[in-house]
Amino acid sequence: MDRKKIVIIDDNKDYTFTMGVFLEKNGFEVHTANNGEKGMEMIEKEKPDLVLLDVMMETLFSGFEVGRKIRQHPEMKEIPIIGISGMHNEIKVKFEKETDEDYFQPDEFFEKPADKDAVLNKINQLIG
Amino acid sequence: MNQNFQVISSSPDQLYQMIIDLLPCYISIQNNDLEILYTNKSFLNDFGEATGRKCHDVLKCSAFMCGECPVKKSFEDNAIHFGEDSVLTREGAPIQLLVYAVPIPAGRDRSVIEFSIDISKIKNTQKELALLGRSVALISHGIKNLLEGLHGGEYVVDEGLREENWPLVEKGWKVVKNNIIDISMIAQNILYSSKKKALTIEKVKPGEMVKRVVSMLNEKALSMGVSLRAEVNPYLPEARLDQFTIKKMLINLISNALEACERDREKNNHFVVARALAYNELQYKFEVEDNGIGMDEDMRKKIFQEFFSTRGTSGTGLGLSVVETIVKEHQGKIEVESVPGQKSLFRIIFTY
Repeated sequence: MDRKKIVIIDDNKDYTFTMGVFLEKNGFEVHTANNGEKGMEMIEKEKPDLVLLDVMMETLFSGFEVGRKIRQHPEMKEIPIIGISGMHNEIKVKFEKETDEDYFQPDEFFEKPADKDAVLNKINQLIG
Repeated sequence: MNQNFQVISSSPDQLYQMIIDLLPCYISIQNNDLEILYTNKSFLNDFGEATGRKCHDVLKCSAFMCGECPVKKSFEDNAIHFGEDSVLTREGAPIQLLVYAVPIPAGRDRSVIEFSIDISKIKNTQKELALLGRSVALISHGIKNLLEGLHGGEYVVDEGLREENWPLVEKGWKVVKNNIIDISMIAQNILYSSKKKALTIEKVKPGEMVKRVVSMLNEKALSMGVSLRAEVNPYLPEARLDQFTIKKMLINLISNALEACERDREKNNHFVVARALAYNELQYKFEVEDNGIGMDEDMRKKIFQEFFSTRGTSGTGLGLSVVETIVKEHQGKIEVESVPGQKSLFRIIFTY
């Protein structure tokens, strides 16, 4: 059986590497990118089953841009997105502002440091 | 009148005048046109002769009335009003005032007394507290990211050990080590920012210091895909430095340069060079140059501010402020050159 595909986008290379190892060990095919642009390219190329997305990379909301682009994409808008970030309060406000240009709603959100098993459970719920 | 007061003033009028002049606040009486009719001594001392001039002319050097004028409001409804405003002293120094306007009920020619208290110190403390709040948040986010890295690295090492997969152990261990370096840097910067310690000046070879720090950070640079190298003049005389703090300075500068490279997506090959070279006969220089993301003029002005960070959630905003303090403590000078999108160079000049 084909393994489910996950794209991890995070500007923290340690996170993409270690989370990548974790998800591979748990039976997923993992692709990683360390910025929004590369992440978007990877999503278009790999057509993943789920995206694990750091919503606040470098330029404050570049992860939000990726999320919004996925949600607006005719073929990819249904891909589940799990948002992650170290800045919980700021993100909460952002998720509530539907008027923002880069607003999008992830399927789930985890605050860093996120419990890997909790993330895995959620992934299994969404695409398992 | 009380006997004691009679000793220092001959009449009640003189006593009241003295009290008004001694009060640590500015008092003026103004008419409906905001023309100043009277000022106390504190007002005169700090804002100069104001009688006959408009309040906004004296306090703000402006021909126009202030937007929210408590005095004007008091004239309108005959009630007490207050507000805060920034004004300029006669020397041109900006101060923040808490202003109360109290109407004087006196027949047809009504007037309003304006009492103002200098609250600049309170305002500065408020700003510092707000900055402190933001800094705690910034530092917490930085530490959270590093903890995430440590946990992740630990997991990969465990997995590698379980499977006896030594390349995986090695990769995981690198993640752990890099995060340990970063955590120790943050902890040392916090400590350095929070308490001042006397320098321990010793004779040191500047080139040796650069080589030591470069070799310490080499592995981290490699894992970030950046080529880090030292360029030193081995014939530089020994300099009088505090080794501990200069090492911290170099670690901060090189770490920043590595980050600047990591954040640059335009170039394929990145380098950071740390140098210790002669500047002139009496001075030598440390330089850290990178071909990373660069800075614009606006950012260059802010980088030495405490708790200013360009690194989103990963910076604590302490690194370059610590560098500046260390350079000042050694009576040195910092020069910054940068071209956005191309390069940055930090030059620290010290006298032997």
